[in-house]
Amino acid sequence: MMQDSQDERLLKRAYWVSRQRWIAAALVCAATYGSTNFFGISLNSVPLYLIGVLLVAYNALLILLLKHFTRGEFPRYEAVKKIVAFQISADLVILTFVLHYSGGIENPFVFYFIFHMIIASILLSVTESFLQATFACLLFGFMLLFEYEQIIPHYCLKGFISNCLYQDTRYIMGTYFTFVTAIFLVVYMASSIASKMKKAEEGYREANELLRQKDRIKDEYVLRVTHDIKGHLAAIKSCLDVVVRKMAGDLNPQQQDLLETSQRRTTSLNNFVKALLNLTTMKLQGKMEMSRFSLGDTIAGALSTIESNASAKSISLVRKIDVASDEIFGNQVSVEEAIIDLLLNAVKYTPEKGTVTLRAEDNCAYVRIEVEDTGIGIPQKEQNRIFEEFFRASNARNFERDGTGLGLSIVKQIVESHKGRIGFESKENVGTKIWFELPAHPIEAESNHD
Amino acid sequence: MVEAKVLIVDDDQDVSKAIKAILNSEGYVVSCAGGSEEGMKMLESQQPDIVILDVMMSTSSEGFDMARVLRKNSRYKNIPILMLTAIKQKTGFDFKPSAGDPEWLPVDEFLDKPIEPDLLLAKVKALLEKTDE
Repeated sequence: MMQDSQDERLLKRAYWVSRQRWIAAALVCAATYGSTNFFGISLNSVPLYLIGVLLVAYNALLILLLKHFTRGEFPRYEAVKKIVAFQISADLVILTFVLHYSGGIENPFVFYFIFHMIIASILLSVTESFLQATFACLLFGFMLLFEYEQIIPHYCLKGFISNCLYQDTRYIMGTYFTFVTAIFLVVYMASSIASKMKKAEEGYREANELLRQKDRIKDEYVLRVTHDIKGHLAAIKSCLDVVVRKMAGDLNPQQQDLLETSQRRTTSLNNFVKALLNLTTMKLQGKMEMSRFSLGDTIAGALSTIESNASAKSISLVRKIDVASDEIFGNQVSVEEAIIDLLLNAVKYTPEKGTVTLRAEDNCAYVRIEVEDTGIGIPQKEQNRIFEEFFRASNARNFERDGTGLGLSIVKQIVESHKGRIGFESKENVGTKIWFELPAHPIEAESNHD
Repeated sequence: MVEAKVLIVDDDQDVSKAIKAILNSEGYVVSCAGGSEEGMKMLESQQPDIVILDVMMSTSSEGFDMARVLRKNSRYKNIPILMLTAIKQKTGFDFKPSAGDPEWLPVDEFLDKPIEPDLLLAKVKALLEKTDE
């Protein structure tokens, strides 16, 4: 996991260097054109333009190679590393040629080698960076030597300097000394900074991974404990139900009352444990099985589940569905559960004879599902906490004693598992509108995932 | 009052007791087994009209395993099976009988714990009526 992300980063940086190379090619051509046409500097233009073209062709080839080695399910990052090391060396050779055809030691662009050294320090290991620095010094040194010894021609930068300097021993020695020290100092400094940053980044990543593991261990623990509690609770509740419903004989009024209280509290506890189990399971599973399903049928199922709760409080349920396609992509059971949770909340926190409206509509590549009520609303100062696990707004606790504080966390978890989004608007004593949007198509879900 | 015979196979005897009381109140004749081995023996002796089976007993799939054995046995394959499980919570999938693979999950109905008396009675009644047809 950690290795992958490092490799991916190297690939991204390799592409970044390629983008800079387009600029370098343009710069070589523009500088050649500008120097000869505007500044009257005598340059051997043809080889320089050719180098510009070569740079473009070579860059295109490198990009194709990078794409070739990283496409498919198993990218070959080893090859990417080799390409990165090769391209820095190749860039140094090209820069040496540019300098050779444009005045050699007389060209002030000699210090552009420094940029390559910074890039090498970021992309390569410390040793590799120093090797590249040595290579740069050798290239530049041999170019100076060969020009000095006239093994290769020297193209004097007439118009920029008054006298050719390629045989001025003292000037050559001074410039070369400065060049070598500058190159090695830059590599030393840039590598130190880069390695410190790499170490810090690895530290953060390891800490993150550790936190994720600890969170998972905690979730597994919660899952095990709640599962055990649920087993006992189920047995208690099943037995209580039998007695309360007088299936095991008659009860006197006081016994009936006490048992009903026990039954009610057990039901609340059972609902809480079920919700916690559900949320923890979802968090641990992370991924859900997705398929195409009918939104209309899912909404109808959700509405029928909460119908009796609504009619018990004379709350009118309004359904407004306006979607182009009834089919959506996701985990049907979870989506139905999310809708049920929102509807249950709306009904629970809406006073008698209120209205709960369920809307479904298209919103670009998403399907939006919205539940609006005429209920107690959420106090302004508590609105930023409503998706927190176990949180219940103060007015909600006063209005309805029973509640797990997990309903909206579950809905949020379901929506996030679908790469969707969730939000709400609420005004105290007026009502609440909670909506979520799910990607209508699997492709959208994939791209969002990235 | 009906007199159909019901076999409950569940290692949680408290749950079995509650189910038994609910079913007894409607006149069913109920026997309980604490595991699949005992359950298989009681199948032989009691000849039940329906089996209520818990999924997780000594192993997490003991109920499933027993259901598969029943379906492969020519004498028992037509006995309806009501499985006690919150299947969705355990697997993340919702196996409706219609959607389930009869080979993999050969049961007729599911019921979540804790048992809702009305739901239990309705499901048992429906399964027995279906078998009568």
